[in-house]
Amino acid sequence: MHAVRNLALCTKDCICLFVCPTGATNTETGQIDFEKCLDGCRLCIDACPSNALYLSYDNYPETKAKDKKLVASLEKLLESKATQEVVSKNLDNDKLIKAFVHSNRVLAEDCAREAAYMLPQSNLSKEFLKLLLDKYKDDDFPKEAVEKLLKLL
Amino acid sequence: MSLENYSDQTLVAICSNLAKACEKQTRSEQASLLKEVESFFQKRVKADEKKDLTSMIEDDLTDGYEKVWALGEKQKERGVLRCVTWGKKVTAIQKSVLSRYEKQGASLLEDNNLFVCDACGFIAIGKDFPVVCPICKAPTSRFVKY
Repeated sequence: MHAVRNLALCTKDCICLFVCPTGATNTETGQIDFEKCLDGCRLCIDACPSNALYLSYDNYPETKAKDKKLVASLEKLLESKATQEVVSKNLDNDKLIKAFVHSNRVLAEDCAREAAYMLPQSNLSKEFLKLLLDKYKDDDFPKEAVEKLLKLL
Repeated sequence: MSLENYSDQTLVAICSNLAKACEKQTRSEQASLLKEVESFFQKRVKADEKKDLTSMIEDDLTDGYEKVWALGEKQKERGVLRCVTWGKKVTAIQKSVLSRYEKQGASLLEDNNLFVCDACGFIAIGKDFPVVCPICKAPTSRFVKY
Protein backbone atom coordinates (compact mmCIF):
# COMPACT_ATOMS: atom_id res chain seq x y z
CA MET A 1 0.00 0.00 0.00
CA HIS A 2 1.08 3.61 -0.36
CA ALA A 3 -0.06 7.14 0.41
CA VAL A 4 -1.65 9.33 -2.25
CA ARG A 5 -2.06 13.09 -2.17
CA ASN A 6 -5.33 14.65 -3.31
CA LEU A 7 -4.03 17.89 -4.80
CA ALA A 8 -7.48 19.47 -4.81
CA LEU A 9 -7.48 19.30 -0.98
CA CYS A 10 -3.79 20.07 -0.35
CA THR A 11 -3.36 23.45 1.34
CA LYS A 12 0.48 23.37 1.29
CA ASP A 13 0.91 23.22 5.04
CA CYS A 14 3.79 20.78 4.37
CA ILE A 15 3.55 18.82 7.61
CA CYS A 16 3.72 15.65 5.46
CA LEU A 17 7.16 16.74 4.29
CA PHE A 18 8.36 17.05 7.88
CA VAL A 19 7.10 13.65 9.05
CA CYS A 20 7.90 11.35 6.12
CA PRO A 21 10.74 8.94 7.04
CA THR A 22 11.80 8.38 3.40
CA GLY A 23 11.10 11.72 1.70
CA ALA A 24 8.41 10.07 -0.43
CA THR A 25 6.05 13.01 0.08
CA ASN A 26 8.54 15.51 -1.35
CA THR A 27 8.57 15.28 -5.15
CA GLU A 28 8.67 17.63 -8.14
CA THR A 29 5.27 16.37 -9.37
CA GLY A 30 3.34 17.08 -6.18
CA GLN A 31 2.34 13.41 -5.95
CA ILE A 32 3.80 10.88 -3.51
CA ASP A 33 6.68 8.71 -4.75
CA PHE A 34 4.88 5.35 -4.54
CA GLU A 35 8.15 3.40 -4.66
CA LYS A 36 9.73 5.25 -1.73
CA CYS A 37 6.53 5.21 0.35
CA LEU A 38 6.68 2.72 3.24
CA ASP A 39 3.99 0.05 3.44
CA GLY A 40 1.37 1.99 5.44
CA CYS A 41 3.31 3.90 8.10
CA ARG A 42 0.44 6.44 7.95
CA LEU A 43 2.51 9.31 9.38
CA CYS A 44 1.68 11.78 6.59
CA ILE A 45 -1.98 10.75 6.50
CA ASP A 46 -2.41 11.29 10.23
CA ALA A 47 -0.38 14.52 10.23
CA CYS A 48 -2.14 16.35 7.41
CA PRO A 49 -4.34 19.16 8.80
CA SER A 50 -6.48 19.18 5.62
CA ASN A 51 -6.96 15.39 5.27
CA ALA A 52 -5.47 15.64 1.78
CA LEU A 53 -3.63 12.31 2.00
CA TYR A 54 -5.09 8.83 1.88
CA LEU A 55 -3.95 5.23 1.66
CA SER A 56 -4.09 3.19 -1.57
CA TYR A 57 -4.26 -0.57 -1.06
CA ASP A 58 -2.75 -3.38 -3.15
CA ASN A 59 -4.91 -6.21 -1.83
CA TYR A 60 -8.68 -6.20 -1.87
CA PRO A 61 -11.27 -8.59 -0.44
CA GLU A 62 -12.62 -11.15 -2.90
CA THR A 63 -15.75 -10.08 -4.81
CA LYS A 64 -18.65 -12.51 -4.50
CA ALA A 65 -20.64 -13.11 -7.69
CA LYS A 66 -24.26 -11.96 -7.44
CA ASP A 67 -27.38 -14.03 -8.13
CA LYS A 68 -27.54 -15.06 -11.81
CA LYS A 69 -31.03 -13.66 -12.49
CA LEU A 70 -30.07 -10.35 -10.89
CA VAL A 71 -26.88 -10.15 -12.96
CA ALA A 72 -28.86 -10.94 -16.12
CA SER A 73 -31.32 -8.12 -15.38
CA LEU A 74 -28.44 -5.69 -14.77
CA GLU A 75 -26.76 -6.80 -17.99
CA LYS A 76 -29.99 -6.11 -19.89
CA LEU A 77 -30.14 -2.60 -18.43
CA LEU A 78 -26.45 -2.11 -19.21
CA GLU A 79 -27.12 -3.11 -22.80
CA SER A 80 -30.04 -0.66 -22.98
CA LYS A 81 -27.94 2.26 -21.69
CA ALA A 82 -25.02 1.36 -23.98
CA THR A 83 -27.37 1.36 -26.97
CA GLN A 84 -28.87 4.67 -25.86
CA GLU A 85 -25.39 6.18 -25.81
CA VAL A 86 -25.06 5.30 -29.51
CA VAL A 87 -28.62 6.42 -30.38
CA SER A 88 -28.03 9.77 -28.58
CA LYS A 89 -25.63 10.67 -31.37
CA ASN A 90 -28.68 11.08 -33.65
CA LEU A 91 -30.05 14.01 -31.61
CA ASP A 92 -30.01 17.23 -33.56
CA ASN A 93 -28.22 19.50 -31.10
CA ASP A 94 -24.52 19.29 -30.29
CA LYS A 95 -24.80 20.12 -26.54
CA LEU A 96 -27.65 17.63 -26.21
CA ILE A 97 -25.64 14.87 -27.89
CA LYS A 98 -22.64 15.41 -25.63
CA ALA A 99 -24.76 15.52 -22.47
CA PHE A 100 -26.77 12.42 -23.34
CA VAL A 101 -23.69 10.44 -24.41
CA HIS A 102 -22.02 11.30 -21.09
CA SER A 103 -25.14 10.63 -19.00
CA ASN A 104 -25.82 7.26 -20.65
CA ARG A 105 -22.18 6.22 -20.30
CA VAL A 106 -22.30 6.94 -16.56
CA LEU A 107 -25.57 4.99 -16.21
CA ALA A 108 -24.11 2.05 -18.16
CA GLU A 109 -20.95 2.03 -16.03
CA ASP A 110 -23.04 1.93 -12.85
CA CYS A 111 -24.92 -1.14 -14.14
CA ALA A 112 -21.59 -2.76 -15.08
CA ARG A 113 -20.23 -2.13 -11.58
CA GLU A 114 -23.22 -3.66 -9.86
CA ALA A 115 -23.40 -6.61 -12.28
CA ALA A 116 -19.82 -7.81 -11.75
CA TYR A 117 -17.22 -5.28 -12.84
CA MET A 118 -16.64 -3.13 -9.76
CA LEU A 119 -13.03 -4.04 -8.98
CA PRO A 120 -10.40 -4.54 -11.69
CA GLN A 121 -8.50 -6.93 -9.40
CA SER A 122 -11.47 -9.25 -8.76
CA ASN A 123 -11.71 -12.76 -10.21
CA LEU A 124 -14.82 -11.67 -12.13
CA SER A 125 -12.97 -8.86 -13.92
CA LYS A 126 -9.99 -11.10 -14.63
CA GLU A 127 -12.26 -13.82 -16.01
CA PHE A 128 -13.80 -11.18 -18.27
CA LEU A 129 -10.35 -10.27 -19.61
CA LYS A 130 -9.47 -13.95 -20.19
CA LEU A 131 -12.72 -14.44 -22.13
CA LEU A 132 -11.79 -11.45 -24.31
CA LEU A 133 -8.46 -13.11 -25.15
CA ASP A 134 -10.26 -16.33 -26.09
CA LYS A 135 -12.93 -14.67 -28.22
CA TYR A 136 -11.10 -11.92 -30.12
CA LYS A 137 -8.42 -13.33 -32.34
CA ASP A 138 -8.29 -10.35 -34.77
CA ASP A 139 -4.88 -8.92 -35.58
CA ASP A 140 -5.77 -5.53 -34.17
CA PHE A 141 -7.12 -6.81 -30.84
CA PRO A 142 -4.73 -5.45 -28.15
CA LYS A 143 -3.65 -8.92 -27.02
CA GLU A 144 -0.45 -7.76 -25.29
CA ALA A 145 -2.35 -5.11 -23.34
CA VAL A 146 -4.77 -7.72 -21.92
CA GLU A 147 -1.96 -10.17 -21.14
CA LYS A 148 -0.11 -7.41 -19.30
CA LEU A 149 -3.27 -6.45 -17.40
CA LEU A 150 -3.73 -10.02 -16.21
CA LYS A 151 -0.20 -9.93 -14.82
CA LEU A 152 -0.47 -6.49 -13.19
CA LEU A 153 -3.93 -6.77 -11.65
CA MET B 1 -19.96 -15.63 -17.45
CA SER B 2 -20.38 -15.34 -21.20
CA LEU B 3 -19.47 -12.55 -23.60
CA GLU B 4 -22.08 -13.67 -26.13
CA ASN B 5 -24.70 -11.16 -25.06
CA TYR B 6 -22.35 -8.20 -24.87
CA SER B 7 -22.53 -5.74 -27.76
CA ASP B 8 -19.43 -3.74 -28.67
CA GLN B 9 -20.81 -0.64 -26.92
CA THR B 10 -21.45 -2.69 -23.75
CA LEU B 11 -17.84 -3.85 -23.85
CA VAL B 12 -16.78 -0.18 -24.21
CA ALA B 13 -18.72 0.69 -21.04
CA ILE B 14 -17.26 -2.26 -19.06
CA CYS B 15 -13.71 -1.35 -20.09
CA SER B 16 -14.15 2.38 -19.45
CA ASN B 17 -15.57 1.58 -16.00
CA LEU B 18 -12.61 -0.66 -15.13
CA ALA B 19 -10.20 2.00 -16.47
CA LYS B 20 -11.82 4.63 -14.22
CA ALA B 21 -11.52 2.28 -11.25
CA CYS B 22 -7.78 1.91 -11.97
CA GLU B 23 -7.39 5.69 -12.18
CA LYS B 24 -9.12 6.08 -8.81
CA GLN B 25 -6.60 3.59 -7.43
CA THR B 26 -3.82 5.72 -9.02
CA ARG B 27 -2.83 2.74 -11.17
CA SER B 28 -2.22 4.69 -14.38
CA GLU B 29 -0.52 1.90 -16.35
CA GLN B 30 -3.49 -0.45 -15.84
CA ALA B 31 -5.86 2.42 -16.68
CA SER B 32 -4.19 3.11 -20.05
CA LEU B 33 -4.07 -0.59 -20.94
CA LEU B 34 -7.81 -0.82 -20.31
CA LYS B 35 -8.37 2.28 -22.42
CA GLU B 36 -6.55 0.51 -25.28
CA VAL B 37 -9.05 -2.33 -25.05
CA GLU B 38 -11.89 0.21 -24.84
CA SER B 39 -10.66 1.88 -28.08
CA PHE B 40 -10.63 -1.45 -29.89
CA PHE B 41 -14.32 -1.96 -29.16
CA GLN B 42 -15.24 1.72 -29.71
CA LYS B 43 -13.93 1.49 -33.29
CA ARG B 44 -16.22 -1.48 -33.95
CA VAL B 45 -19.40 0.28 -32.76
CA LYS B 46 -21.78 1.08 -35.61
CA ALA B 47 -24.18 4.02 -35.63
CA ASP B 48 -27.78 3.14 -34.83
CA GLU B 49 -30.30 4.96 -36.98
CA LYS B 50 -33.38 2.94 -36.16
CA LYS B 51 -33.96 3.02 -32.42
CA ASP B 52 -35.84 5.76 -30.60
CA LEU B 53 -34.40 7.26 -27.42
CA THR B 54 -37.74 8.23 -25.89
CA SER B 55 -39.19 4.72 -26.12
CA MET B 56 -36.00 3.12 -24.79
CA ILE B 57 -36.16 5.50 -21.82
CA GLU B 58 -39.79 4.56 -21.26
CA ASP B 59 -38.92 0.84 -21.36
CA ASP B 60 -36.19 1.33 -18.77
CA LEU B 61 -38.55 3.22 -16.46
CA THR B 62 -41.51 0.84 -16.74
CA ASP B 63 -39.68 -2.46 -17.13
CA GLY B 64 -35.86 -2.54 -16.98
CA TYR B 65 -35.36 -0.77 -13.66
CA GLU B 66 -38.42 -2.44 -12.13
CA LYS B 67 -37.01 -5.90 -12.79
CA VAL B 68 -33.61 -5.02 -11.33
CA TRP B 69 -35.28 -3.49 -8.25
CA ALA B 70 -37.40 -6.60 -7.59
CA LEU B 71 -34.45 -8.96 -7.88
CA GLY B 72 -32.20 -6.60 -5.92
CA GLU B 73 -34.71 -6.49 -3.05
CA LYS B 74 -35.09 -10.26 -3.08
CA GLN B 75 -31.31 -10.71 -2.87
CA LYS B 76 -30.89 -7.85 -0.37
CA GLU B 77 -28.26 -6.21 -2.60
CA ARG B 78 -28.21 -2.63 -1.34
CA GLY B 79 -25.72 -1.39 -3.94
CA VAL B 80 -28.10 -2.57 -6.65
CA LEU B 81 -30.99 -0.73 -4.99
CA ARG B 82 -28.85 2.41 -4.90
CA CYS B 83 -28.09 1.97 -8.61
CA VAL B 84 -31.82 1.72 -9.40
CA THR B 85 -32.75 4.67 -7.14
CA TRP B 86 -30.29 7.00 -8.84
CA GLY B 87 -30.65 5.48 -12.30
CA LYS B 88 -34.45 5.78 -12.39
CA LYS B 89 -34.31 9.42 -11.29
CA VAL B 90 -31.62 10.29 -13.84
CA THR B 91 -33.53 8.48 -16.59
CA ALA B 92 -36.70 10.40 -15.65
CA ILE B 93 -34.72 13.65 -15.89
CA GLN B 94 -33.45 12.58 -19.35
CA LYS B 95 -37.10 12.11 -20.37
CA SER B 96 -38.01 15.61 -19.17
CA VAL B 97 -34.99 17.23 -20.86
CA LEU B 98 -35.96 15.65 -24.18
CA SER B 99 -39.56 16.72 -23.68
CA ARG B 100 -38.57 20.33 -22.92
CA TYR B 101 -36.28 20.39 -25.95
CA GLU B 102 -39.07 19.07 -28.13
CA LYS B 103 -41.37 21.90 -26.99
CA GLN B 104 -38.87 24.78 -26.87
CA GLY B 105 -36.43 23.75 -29.56
CA ALA B 106 -32.94 25.15 -30.01
CA SER B 107 -33.66 28.34 -28.01
CA LEU B 108 -33.66 26.25 -24.80
CA LEU B 109 -29.98 25.53 -25.32
CA GLU B 110 -28.92 28.83 -26.85
CA ASP B 111 -29.46 30.63 -23.53
CA ASN B 112 -28.49 27.72 -21.29
CA ASN B 113 -25.80 25.13 -20.80
CA LEU B 114 -26.15 21.47 -19.92
CA PHE B 115 -24.33 20.21 -16.84
CA VAL B 116 -23.82 16.46 -16.40
CA CYS B 117 -22.94 14.90 -13.04
CA ASP B 118 -20.05 12.54 -13.65
CA ALA B 119 -21.00 10.48 -10.59
CA CYS B 120 -24.60 9.61 -11.48
CA GLY B 121 -25.40 11.01 -14.96
CA PHE B 122 -27.88 13.67 -13.83
CA ILE B 123 -28.42 16.38 -16.46
CA ALA B 124 -29.10 19.98 -15.37
CA ILE B 125 -30.16 22.82 -17.69
CA GLY B 126 -29.03 26.24 -16.54
CA LYS B 127 -26.51 29.04 -16.65
CA ASP B 128 -24.23 28.09 -13.76
CA PHE B 129 -22.74 24.89 -12.37
CA PRO B 130 -25.08 23.25 -9.85
CA VAL B 131 -23.76 23.63 -6.30
CA VAL B 132 -24.58 20.01 -5.49
CA CYS B 133 -26.15 17.14 -7.43
CA PRO B 134 -29.78 16.74 -6.35
CA ILE B 135 -29.67 13.00 -7.12
CA CYS B 136 -26.41 11.76 -5.65
CA LYS B 137 -25.19 14.81 -3.65
CA ALA B 138 -21.87 14.96 -5.50
CA PRO B 139 -20.19 18.39 -5.19
CA THR B 140 -20.00 20.97 -7.99
CA SER B 141 -16.51 19.75 -8.96
CA ARG B 142 -18.05 16.52 -10.34
CA PHE B 143 -20.09 18.34 -12.99
CA VAL B 144 -19.07 18.75 -16.63
CA LYS B 145 -20.41 21.68 -18.67
CA TYR B 146 -21.64 21.37 -22.26
